[in-house]
Amino acid sequence: MNSRRSFLRDLAVAARDVTAQQPAPVPAPPAPARASIPGDDLERYSRQLVLPEWSEAAQLALHGASVLVVGAGALGSPVALYLAGAGVGRLGIVDSDDVELSNLHRQPLHFTPDIGAPKAQSAAAKLRFLNPGVVVEPYQARLQDANAPAMIEGSDLVVDCSDSFATRYAVNAACCAAGVPLVEGGVIGMSGLVMGIRPGQSACYRCAFPEPPPPGSVASCAEAGVLGPAAGVIGSMQALEAIKLLTGVGEPLLDAFLQVDLATHGFLRVAVTRRDDCPDCGPA
Amino acid sequence: MAARTLDITGLTCPMTWVKTKLELERLMPGDVLTVACPPGEALENVPRSAAEAGHDVAVEGTIVRIVRR
Repeated sequence: MNSRRSFLRDLAVAARDVTAQQPAPVPAPPAPARASIPGDDLERYSRQLVLPEWSEAAQLALHGASVLVVGAGALGSPVALYLAGAGVGRLGIVDSDDVELSNLHRQPLHFTPDIGAPKAQSAAAKLRFLNPGVVVEPYQARLQDANAPAMIEGSDLVVDCSDSFATRYAVNAACCAAGVPLVEGGVIGMSGLVMGIRPGQSACYRCAFPEPPPPGSVASCAEAGVLGPAAGVIGSMQALEAIKLLTGVGEPLLDAFLQVDLATHGFLRVAVTRRDDCPDCGPA
Repeated sequence: MAARTLDITGLTCPMTWVKTKLELERLMPGDVLTVACPPGEALENVPRSAAEAGHDVAVEGTIVRIVRR
């Protein structure tokens, strides 16, 4: 019990320390390229290094990558945890909200002592505990049309874990304009969606969904509810697709989205083609 | 064809195969890696993993000789 209390106290102190830091005004330069994996990291990453599909080159590609995670909530938690654990070199975490009691059932980056702390900072503290070798940059901000291009600048990949259609379309447009690969995702209730995007090469989110649903036509997470493990599945799939796109390992989910119904174990892969009239990714 | 040696006698599984696998990735096809292996689990796992990865493997005592595929 004492050790548990001590652990929670350390986390709260770490979160407070991080909160005191100002977010970096501009993204840090990418980590210098490594020629080989340092000894300590061999053990940290040993269970992925032994995979037949994996290689030192794949590990170094992750180390050299800068990934922006938009949202540190139900999807952003597993995404950031798995990417940090896997050894992505730099993780930017964007979230403007504070941790609330009602978040905790589905957002495993945040614990009860974090209530009231900014999510970006709370997330950064945990991710640094998980893997001190990852450069974590919290941004306490809301990604919108106006700031999206600046926020994604310097990123090798963006994972959209936001909970609003406005943010989703802003992220897609900015990634298409900058040519930055993107993994989209969404979850509600016990179902969700995942889509990988290589702008200019594969269909983008707007090719699949040209217009956002009319305001009020889709229930929000707060209205419709969501089960934590369902968000965990979708977020985990987003993290996996991000790793595939960054390393070239496995087959990325491109020109398609995966519609997942976890109530009935239904996984439906829906093919999508690029649209000539797509305002975001332009003529095919 | 190059020949390299690797001593993994101080390691335990799965680090024995991790080190061997990464060393093999640095070699060219046909190059030979001679691995000094600790007896026991590693001496079973390293040759098996190398063979499953498609390399030619020969074991003499605790020395595992792997020809990169």
